[in-house]
Amino acid sequence: MEFQPTPTDGVETETSEMQFDTEQLISRLFEKSSFDLNSYKLNRTLHLNWLVRLCFQGFPSRYVSQDASQPWLLFWILQSFQTLGVAVDPTTKQRAIDTILANQHPSGGFGGGPGQLPHLLPTYAAVCSLAIVGRPGEGGGWDQIDRQKMYQWFLSLKQPDGSFIVCHDAEVDMRGCYCLLTVATLLDMLTPELVRGTRAFVSSCQTYEGGFSASSYPYFTSDAPNHLSSLLRSPRPSLGEAHGGYTFCAVASLLLLRAQKDEGKDVLDTKKLLRWAVGMQGQEIEGGGFRGRTNKLVDGCYSWWVGGLFALIDDLLGAGGAPLERLDHDSHSDGKEGDDSHEWQDFEDGLFNKQALQKFVLVSSQSTTGGLRDKPGKPADAYHTLYNLSGLSSAQHHVYRSAEQAAKLESQWVRSAPFIPTGKEATESDEGRNERRKRIWVDANSWTEDEVASRYVGGKENRVNATHPVFDLTMTTSRAITNYFYGQNVPIA
Amino acid sequence: MSTSRIPETYIPYAERPDWADVTPIPQHDSLDPLVPIHYTPEYKDATDYFRGVVQAGERSERVLDLTEYIISLNPSHYSVWQYRYSTLIALKSDLAAELKLMNTIAAENLKSYQVWHHRRLLLTQLRSAEGELDFIAAALEEDKKNYHTWAYRQWVLAEFNDDEMWAGELGLIEKLLDKDVRNNSAWSHRFFIVWDSGIRKGEEDRETVTRRELAYTKEMISLAPNNASAWNYLRGVLERTATPLSSLEAFVAPYARAHSHISGFITPASNETEGVFIDLENPLPSESASLPCPLAIEFLADIWEEKGGEEGAKKASEYFASLAEKYDPMRKRYWEFRQKEAQAPHPVTVSA
Repeated sequence: MEFQPTPTDGVETETSEMQFDTEQLISRLFEKSSFDLNSYKLNRTLHLNWLVRLCFQGFPSRYVSQDASQPWLLFWILQSFQTLGVAVDPTTKQRAIDTILANQHPSGGFGGGPGQLPHLLPTYAAVCSLAIVGRPGEGGGWDQIDRQKMYQWFLSLKQPDGSFIVCHDAEVDMRGCYCLLTVATLLDMLTPELVRGTRAFVSSCQTYEGGFSASSYPYFTSDAPNHLSSLLRSPRPSLGEAHGGYTFCAVASLLLLRAQKDEGKDVLDTKKLLRWAVGMQGQEIEGGGFRGRTNKLVDGCYSWWVGGLFALIDDLLGAGGAPLERLDHDSHSDGKEGDDSHEWQDFEDGLFNKQALQKFVLVSSQSTTGGLRDKPGKPADAYHTLYNLSGLSSAQHHVYRSAEQAAKLESQWVRSAPFIPTGKEATESDEGRNERRKRIWVDANSWTEDEVASRYVGGKENRVNATHPVFDLTMTTSRAITNYFYGQNVPIA
Repeated sequence: MSTSRIPETYIPYAERPDWADVTPIPQHDSLDPLVPIHYTPEYKDATDYFRGVVQAGERSERVLDLTEYIISLNPSHYSVWQYRYSTLIALKSDLAAELKLMNTIAAENLKSYQVWHHRRLLLTQLRSAEGELDFIAAALEEDKKNYHTWAYRQWVLAEFNDDEMWAGELGLIEKLLDKDVRNNSAWSHRFFIVWDSGIRKGEEDRETVTRRELAYTKEMISLAPNNASAWNYLRGVLERTATPLSSLEAFVAPYARAHSHISGFITPASNETEGVFIDLENPLPSESASLPCPLAIEFLADIWEEKGGEEGAKKASEYFASLAEKYDPMRKRYWEFRQKEAQAPHPVTVSA
């Protein structure tokens, strides 16, 4: 194979030198690979054994930096199992539930380990882990989540500009926003009170490049000097540059907020977002993997953060099914679904190169000693294992929000006992609350896999399970936990 | 407190007489957890005592020592940082001294969120950012694209909003871009400084600023055209100033052709004795540039799409097709999507 190096225009800089080195590392692996795509194999057993070892034997002392991320270690492993289609035995499930519950803080939310302060990121990892292994009833994890306290803690993190700090005395960060919205959605806690102004905050983080940053500067907050708001023409500058992880979290957040009757009319520039996202896919010499920022290096984890973003962008374009056939987002912007009778025809559908991403994960990301990695030369870890596998999943499958499924769910919705925060005066009518909860539940569960559209580089034995484009759980899992918390009895297909 | 108080020879807290009054709390009592981390004895000992002091609600100088020690072993331990901060506040400690201590710790842990946020908390209390920009600039020397460092610099500028502080920013950016014109963090910071944070002193004449920014970006593109950072900045400027893309057609066109075709763009001077002159507003690609540049072809396609009409649709479509088929096949589906859009234009901006 002949690979074209990224042109340097005769100007060598630190960026171009690192780029060159990475291109060499990756293209060498592709040169060794056969031209025959059927020879590309996912080393399923090797990765499973590696994950099982981490799960039971644990991590050596150099992983002390993960001590404040213990629920994440478990989530990355459990969700990797799910993606690889492996079920966990009941004894291990119970140990997982007990391990997670030990991180719940007495004042609400989950910490990075027992006795640690509650923090939005491990709270997402803990609740999603419980979604996978938990169940209702005593010791099952679901009923032991203290939703009242968690809700009060969520409110205590809320900032006047609609953003959330991730923990008391800590930073505002888009990942925290996404984690909070996901947890609140799964557990029926996504009240108008909790998310007022949040959409405007998320929108303020879209940068001139089209992707999103970690946060923005809230000039108009009450504690900022007053003269600033009149001085600044553009009052909420984003802090930091467009970044794959923050962009995924921002766009997923906007989708999670869609079911709210939001006061704001903040506009997301989808065209610019799409241009930025496609620009993150590396050239052939980099294996077609994704980078997280302009002029940075490809990294296996962006297979999900950017590769997985396209299902969300398709949805924003109102073209979940087939971008080339249909672009009538006008009917979409007022909240109505268009018809989705369109068919997805050929392999190369989707706005990014799905075949190239699958090749990248299979050739560049698999470590020969088990697990998946950032890039050749880097050791595998649990984080990169999950997000490579999730990215592979998004490149193999076509998951979209089905209007048909939404209509079906809507007709099956039954009135049920809602979560009502204690000590608060109701700001919603019973009817309004019921409608809101129905919209949220229907929206979360109308993502559907178009099974005819799945394509596997290297053959069907490389298949990994489809994943929910917003939550990164299997759709069976997110359906089960939302059915429980929204009091719905719809059978899981 | 400006220097570290970690003792040189380590004695476990469990063996220190002055800690005998604290009851250490193990992480787990009876549970056999999954995904255990096999801590070093030092880390386990220190965090057991940390849980002990938190349980007791102790705020003291020795708590500051303990938290500093744990942070040196694991700078990502956000609960330890939070407890340290609230202890500093409770003890009314000298926060300027704490900031000095942080200078050492930050330099060793640039990638930690907590290190930077702790500084932010301190500066918020101190209400002074003296020397802070210099400190950050030194950190950027070590790691020129560090996300936290850049975001923190932008926060400092916005929060303290001092003309003198803003004044040095363009100089810093130009220094960084001179070294590496592909440093997207520096380009992003430029956008923050010039466009996103209001109008700074000396920048009131926006037409001049726009001209300056366009000239600078064009020059950077001419030096190394295959640089997405510079083109993205250029697009950002045009968008922010509501300038049509087509205003740059004369500049962009030579970049979308192979070298042999460029000479036609050197305009013969009216006075023949002076030979040819080069259009200074529209610098040509350097001789070592790799052409045609796909980013320029895309720009031309967008210009024609913007112009619209039958001719616009046709030309845009041709350029998108050339990207799909020849110049950027990795993004084939996207270019085909754009081609289709150009032929039957829709507004693509929707509200989420």
